[in-house]
Amino acid sequence: MPFHEFNCSTCIPERREHAVVKGPGEDLTSALPLGYLNTIPGSISERGCAYCGAKHVIGTPMKDVIHLSHGPVGCTYDTWQTKRYISDNDNFQLKNTFASDVKEKHIVFGAEGLLKKNIIEAFQAFPEIKRMTIYSTCATALIGDDIGAIAQEVMEEMPDVDIFVCNSPGFAGPSQSGGHHKINIAWVNNKVGTVEPKITSDYVINYVGEYNIQGDQEVMIDYFKRMGIQVLSTFTGNGSYDDLRAMHRAHLNVLECARSAEYICNELRVRYGIPRLDIDGFGFEPLSASLRKIGLFFGIEDRAQAIIDAETARWKPELDWYKERLKGKKVCLWPGGSKLWHWANVIHEEMGVEVVSLYTKFGHQGDMEKGIARCEQGALAIDDPNELEGLEAMEKLKPDVIFTGKRPGEVAKKIRVPYLNAHAYHNGPYKGYEGWVRFARDIYNAIYSPIHQLSALDISKDEIPADKGFITRRMLSDIHLTPEIRDSSEMRQYTGGYDSVSPLRERDYPYMNESKALV
Amino acid sequence: MTCEVIQKGRSGVINPIFTCQPAGAQYASIGIKDCIGIVHGGQGCVMFVRLLFSQHFKENFLIASSSVHEDGAVFGALNRVEEAVDVLLMRYPDVKVVPIITTCSTEVIGDDVDGVILKLNRGLLQEKYADREVHLIAVHAPSFVGSQVSGYDVAVEAFVSHFAKKSEPSGKLNLITGWVNPGDVTVLKQLLAEMQVDATVLFEIESFDSPIMPDKSGESHGSTTIEDLTGTANAIGTLALNRYEGGRAARYLENEFGIPSIIGPTPIGIRNTDTFLHNVKALTGKPIPQSLVRERGKAIDALADLVHMFLAEKRVAIYGHPDLVIGLAEFCIDLEMKPVLLLLGDDNTTYKNDPRIKALQSGVDFEMEIVLNADLMELEDRIKNKELNLDLILGHSKGRFVAIDNNVPMVRVGFPTYDRAGLHRHPVVGYAGAIWLAEEMANTLFTDMEYKKNKEWILNVW
Amino acid sequence: MEEDVLKERVAQLEDFILKKCLWQFHSRAWDRERQNEGVLTKTTQILCGDPVAKETAEDRCYWVDAVVLAEEYRSRFTWTASLTVPEIRVLMAALKDRIDYVTITGSLNKELTVKQY
Repeated sequence: MPFHEFNCSTCIPERREHAVVKGPGEDLTSALPLGYLNTIPGSISERGCAYCGAKHVIGTPMKDVIHLSHGPVGCTYDTWQTKRYISDNDNFQLKNTFASDVKEKHIVFGAEGLLKKNIIEAFQAFPEIKRMTIYSTCATALIGDDIGAIAQEVMEEMPDVDIFVCNSPGFAGPSQSGGHHKINIAWVNNKVGTVEPKITSDYVINYVGEYNIQGDQEVMIDYFKRMGIQVLSTFTGNGSYDDLRAMHRAHLNVLECARSAEYICNELRVRYGIPRLDIDGFGFEPLSASLRKIGLFFGIEDRAQAIIDAETARWKPELDWYKERLKGKKVCLWPGGSKLWHWANVIHEEMGVEVVSLYTKFGHQGDMEKGIARCEQGALAIDDPNELEGLEAMEKLKPDVIFTGKRPGEVAKKIRVPYLNAHAYHNGPYKGYEGWVRFARDIYNAIYSPIHQLSALDISKDEIPADKGFITRRMLSDIHLTPEIRDSSEMRQYTGGYDSVSPLRERDYPYMNESKALV
Repeated sequence: MTCEVIQKGRSGVINPIFTCQPAGAQYASIGIKDCIGIVHGGQGCVMFVRLLFSQHFKENFLIASSSVHEDGAVFGALNRVEEAVDVLLMRYPDVKVVPIITTCSTEVIGDDVDGVILKLNRGLLQEKYADREVHLIAVHAPSFVGSQVSGYDVAVEAFVSHFAKKSEPSGKLNLITGWVNPGDVTVLKQLLAEMQVDATVLFEIESFDSPIMPDKSGESHGSTTIEDLTGTANAIGTLALNRYEGGRAARYLENEFGIPSIIGPTPIGIRNTDTFLHNVKALTGKPIPQSLVRERGKAIDALADLVHMFLAEKRVAIYGHPDLVIGLAEFCIDLEMKPVLLLLGDDNTTYKNDPRIKALQSGVDFEMEIVLNADLMELEDRIKNKELNLDLILGHSKGRFVAIDNNVPMVRVGFPTYDRAGLHRHPVVGYAGAIWLAEEMANTLFTDMEYKKNKEWILNVW
Repeated sequence: MEEDVLKERVAQLEDFILKKCLWQFHSRAWDRERQNEGVLTKTTQILCGDPVAKETAEDRCYWVDAVVLAEEYRSRFTWTASLTVPEIRVLMAALKDRIDYVTITGSLNKELTVKQY
């Protein structure tokens, strides 16, 4: 097994099997790190907790819901305003967060009464919202509060409200992934099948494992609606609580982030016979193949093809402009879970960059299988990386850019490596054809930033190039290009606007009107 | 004309002003050199706090977790602390100070952190790290008590009480800043330097604002040393600027070592800065030099340009850390403004006895409300449903949507201020802070006038 | 087909699946068996010109992955045009064995045998 041993981790032998290099002749049967095991205490891992996996990652993107955490205030505060999952109802769920504010006396005497008061107060504060999710936390799980019983009591007293309970305290699993699992299963057990939807199309899907980061969901929903497909629910980005109770009526589950949401798709397949189709919304070719498959499923592949042709014609020349300038640039692909495989191959194929390393904070071995399968030879794959290993890897690999989270991005900054936010994006959305160009544009802007160039100069001993007042990105990026490519009239830089999502909310969809008319 | 002090009526929190104690303890710990804390609890208690600091400072800070998982929650997790200490010490050879910060989970399960520290001191540290100076310090920070404010207070006391050791008088002044920004520390040190006062600053966090260096050596961490902390027992006096963030440590030093202390007031605004200098003079006997008379004069000059023309009568709501909020309110009143609503965001029952609150109650000449145990819903509800008219909000970034959605201009101040660039570099304390605050408030009002076309032409001649 | 040619061609087809597809990486062994069988059987049928069952939702879902895979194979690997039907069957059977090995029998993923989702 081609394990990679970090110098900084020789003293913790348990780490030895958590990093591999996919060398020549290696495949998944010889190169796969361990994954989803308990974290080594004190290693300064990047992992979060199961509460955040349930509440922050999957629960909160649901837009028309009061998201109440039963516990001390910190869990709630900490998972508030640290994500970019927007919604088309003026971001209610981004703006408002609710904590039962458990104090010492409640720890001693129980906090169920406090919780009940909280639930009622929260509905009173937002009378237009009739749906609630409640999340347990470490403290209230340990004192054994029966949240489900309290929720049931309130629902009996207030018949117009509906409450979902997710018991996923922070300690429930090695990482946030434990919470993904718990909320998937809790939702399918308790809520799916409790609402019968109005079916308005012959083509009905759930869009699963999509969290509307900077509008990703809305970009994809736009394509689906252009095909005349009724999206019954999105699990959970920009998703509606009652829509998600009706998931059982879809003809097809279209799954994006299998890491966080494959469980519910698997259960829906077993319980309701809805097949699971895994897709990629990132990248021209994978997205085109995905739209085509969905079209084929319903016998409307011509509609898919029309979108693919129009979008490709519109945006491919812009993607190619960046590809020419990003070729050979070295990337550390260091996201949380699914993006390591969503992006590993397609950024290489469509943007020309070399993925020199991939890591996953909370992924399982299944994510690493996909990621390692999709990356090129020589890439260093790390499970549950820690601070020192990340630094050592960057020193060794010398990436031109890394895709990771906000805080690890600050680590990279200090060793003069620019970063792009892999979770929240810089200037997304990154899904869809235009989104993919936006991603390429952001990578280009990061790698060819004149400021990052300046960071290498030591004015105390280097020769200061005093002949220039400025440098443009193109002076840096175009220097090795042939004149034909540099001056190509076929290719162009990104021409979209700052906000590519809001205009989608105003669109009209002829096929949707047509299918409505049928009903 | 009354100033009413009330409690939030609801039992829960909608849109909190604070996070919990462990975050405060972590903020204190990153101020110490060669210190990496271990937070004993679930991983989220660290991951999100590190994210919060990185949002505010746009920097990375090292804090470790004992990563308590299901088995630990059921059977006890002290073995996780033991392993965490060993792993941390093995991989970070410079680390000398390791606070073990508890959380709700490990307090509920009753992990004896003090006991395990004793065990580690006698066992692991002697067996494996005998030639190394290592301090393990228990910081009890259950999340269901107090807030980030008390967590900071508890941690500062834990550090001081662990290290402070009586020897020869140092002639130095202890300056406990409370929860401030690097820009504040710079200003405080400048003031002390002008007075030729040698001070131990808890904590030296100017280095949080760290560079990108050509040799990649830049790193953000505090620079208060073990020697600094040890020497606090030998100072001529302690000045704790914030009653609720560092006050405990000042009292500890006074009770334990007889170090005279003055707690507060937070030196926000001219008047409180004057008092600060007065207190420095009282504790050190050093005179206030002409240079500060001049600096003060420049600040008053700047304020005179703004107060009665632009700031007078402006109605302000302020939320955040209690010492900060009270200091800002006092300054606003000096600026002829009307801080009509103050929101203090935790259940500390002593705020209502704070002499500064009492003084507001007896002294203000307009309707003022102070809400204790408040959340941001208390602010939003008053604006939306109770006809509270505001010209300005002062507070941290978590309340940004109250300002945005209700079209009230807002000056970001306090912690965190992640939705504005570089505010941690700017002071709110001292004369320099008075200038920055007043001008920031004025410019924010000006921008709002222009955006709303509300007598924007008035700025043509000024 | 010579043994080494077969091996080389299977490797090309395998590489495409591993880099571009997701259906082979469901999380449990029993699902991977089902998926591999479903998609690769239908891909073989399409490449051989056999009738393909696609009436049930489950079959249809395999079929859409198979259609796209077959199209890609035909356009990317032009040598497929020169194969006889029996040769395609041999090739695809070898591919199925290989994919089963990489994703199931030879897989190092310890979660494949976890009893529940």
